[in-house]
Amino acid sequence: MDTLIGSEYDSLREEVRSFFAANEDAVVPAGPGFGGDASEVRRRVVEWQKRLVDGGYAGREIPQRYGGAGHEPDPLASLVIEEEFQDAGVSLGMENQGISMFVPTLLHFGREDQKQDLIRPTIRGEMIWCQGYSEPGSGSDLASLRTSAVLDGDEYVINGQKIWTSGAREAEMMFALIRTEADAGKHAGISYIVLPMDTPGIDVRPLMTMTGDASFNEVFFTDVRVPATNVIGRPGQGWEVGTYTLRFERNMLGRSNATESYVAGCVDILRETGLIDSPVYRDRLLKLEGRVQAMKYHQLRLLTDRLKKRDSGAGGLIVKLNNCQLNYDICALAIDAMAERGVLKRGSKHVRDYGNWQRNYMYALGLIIGGGTAQIQKNIIGERGLGLPREPKPAAA
Amino acid sequence: MDFGLTQPQELLRDSIARFLAQDVGIERVRRAMDSESGRDEAIHGQLGDQGITGLLIDMDLGGSELGMQEAAIAAQELGRAAAPVNFHSAYVLAPLLLAGADAGDRRSALLEGIAEGRSLITPILDAPIDDGRIDGAVLYVPDAPWSDAFLLESGGSLHLLDASIPGIDIEPLETVDDTRRVAEVTFSGIDLGAAESLGGSADSTRRAVHAARIALAADALGAAQKGLHISVEYAKERKQFERIIGSFQAVKHICAEVLAEVDPVQSLLWHTADAWDGESDEIDHLAPLLKAHATEVASTAVTMTTQVFGGMGFTHECDMHIFYKRAGYDRQMMGNPTALREQAAAVMYA
Ligand SMILES: Cc1cc2nc3c(=O)[nH]c(=O)nc-3n(C[C@H](O)[C@H](O)[C@H](O)COP(=O)(O)OP(=O)(O)OC[C@H]3O[C@@H](n4cnc5c(N)ncnc54)[C@H](O)[C@@H]3O)c2cc1C
Repeated sequence: MDTLIGSEYDSLREEVRSFFAANEDAVVPAGPGFGGDASEVRRRVVEWQKRLVDGGYAGREIPQRYGGAGHEPDPLASLVIEEEFQDAGVSLGMENQGISMFVPTLLHFGREDQKQDLIRPTIRGEMIWCQGYSEPGSGSDLASLRTSAVLDGDEYVINGQKIWTSGAREAEMMFALIRTEADAGKHAGISYIVLPMDTPGIDVRPLMTMTGDASFNEVFFTDVRVPATNVIGRPGQGWEVGTYTLRFERNMLGRSNATESYVAGCVDILRETGLIDSPVYRDRLLKLEGRVQAMKYHQLRLLTDRLKKRDSGAGGLIVKLNNCQLNYDICALAIDAMAERGVLKRGSKHVRDYGNWQRNYMYALGLIIGGGTAQIQKNIIGERGLGLPREPKPAAA
Repeated sequence: MDFGLTQPQELLRDSIARFLAQDVGIERVRRAMDSESGRDEAIHGQLGDQGITGLLIDMDLGGSELGMQEAAIAAQELGRAAAPVNFHSAYVLAPLLLAGADAGDRRSALLEGIAEGRSLITPILDAPIDDGRIDGAVLYVPDAPWSDAFLLESGGSLHLLDASIPGIDIEPLETVDDTRRVAEVTFSGIDLGAAESLGGSADSTRRAVHAARIALAADALGAAQKGLHISVEYAKERKQFERIIGSFQAVKHICAEVLAEVDPVQSLLWHTADAWDGESDEIDHLAPLLKAHATEVASTAVTMTTQVFGGMGFTHECDMHIFYKRAGYDRQMMGNPTALREQAAAVMYA
């Protein structure tokens, strides 16, 4: 076994460090210590994203003709870059539904013109996407979705409703699963359609979440017309395309580099409060460290599988389940260590780290639910990972 | 042996529950939550009319002279309703501290005011009193912006300071649990002579603190039980994959596991409240142990029952988050589980 990354990557490390030095004015830090005025935060994040793309650290493996750096896929290089960013406490850039989920899907299923139009602005943070999957009656049972599109000439006419759509008001674009063939089977009649959010007939109504942000939305479609060419993949192939996107969602939600910066933030709090010397807190912290480190090296194993084009089996399916719970437990420890101060929220005097701990504690719970609930993840692990039989279907009523 | 509520206690519980359901419904709770100050001005008088503020106050002062078992019943119902009141502070800690103060007209008048729901007196434990001066900032003081007076405790001695005295600066803090608020109170070198000295003792302070912790534990228990209740109701209604979600073992087992954890806490609560009433020596470890355990169980319970709601559970519109945050406040205030377990262990294994 070789866990060491060869010295051929030393020059890459040097490169990353000089990139930080050259872009010091725009660097966005990673972890709980970054926050404040929302529009200023957004401005800085987008600016940093552009620098990362220009430097070849975001969109690294995306072909140059689509606005990326066009590097050969090299997971080890990506790992080295991640490590350098982590060690420097620097943000790896925007992770969102467009960049992390839609772009890889488009690269796989999209037409050349779609790739040329949509990837560049997306990876530069100029085109923000939202994900129109869930409906009031269709969450875990996503394939039961009812929002429909009917072909009229060379346009689709869409009617229906999406819900829990994160960031729909800030988004320029949506990728959505829509039923285009009413008579085809449950999974067979769905298409993956992209649409600009300012298309007439789209009505976005904000929903407040438990964190106090209005990041959720309901999106209503009334006779919304989009060109039939806005389908990604083939019409009726939406389930396959859509679940491909979900794989990336689970990876995004399961990432461990944000996790490590939160553990570091926890250690800071324990030092400040003197609790770092308490055996109880040490034990809790080290249990978390054990889980974090295990998941970190687990990722290396998955990476090796990818390099060798091997299927990771159940090992790949556990990442979202584990890491979302881990992020929740890390915030819980930080809040306990703050004692009464732990009840304060964003905007309050004396709140630590802009209230990021409290917000992320709740947000992590949201992500235990979102992107496929923990219970659904466990079903998938049991059935696909371990080959256990499915739960029996109920007798038809 | 007869372990459980007596018939009068059951009647008390039912009447409090009925009053809260009728007069302090979730819309009213939400109005307080969504308001800037978080204040529900009328609730104190109403709780007074119901006898809830005077449970621990002598009959001749307008109270009902009951005990911790009854106060715990009230606290649990208030938690279940997420009522916008810091019961543990205003109606447990304050009257019990005053009960241990020197007898006299002043003390009687204060307790009468509390029993009627007319006066809101906010205790500050371990107040910054030094060298005859009250000087310093105190954080996380419940209800401070609308308290009539602060009951300062230091080394077991009590001093009552009118809230309108110059030199007191109050700055509200924002809490995750919007149903109950805290503030930072800064005293700028106020002469202790400006406060009334009321006597008091370390022993009565100790018992009062135990009682307040029992009340917070009961509140967390009520919140956890309500969270379980509404999630079970939801699990019986919501369908996915053409099935009622409660028919999935994954969902059923969440609910069953939460019940299995939560239900025994009820028994520990009753026993602890009984030990307090009986002035048992056990109370010195039972009260911290109960608060640690009840709030820990409540945290797990609300984390799990929120998931039963799926995406709905993450919204502000669904009531679940109200109980989720309620349990979080109960957990952190007046000692969190780790701190209190340490305290209990120091007593148990001394
Ligand atoms: C923070 C957050 C962000 C989100 N962002 C988006 C977004 O941007 N776009 C979007 O389209 N959606 C989004 N969602 C929605 C999310 O995908 C759904 O909430 C999730 O898939 C669950 O669906 P549901 O809410 O309908 O819950 P339901 O499916 O109704 O689930 C309710 C409960 O039943 C359980 N359950 C259901 N079926 C089964 C089963 N077969 N076996 C066992 N248990 C079962 C679930 O685990 C859950 O406990 C987001 C959700 C959250 C919380």
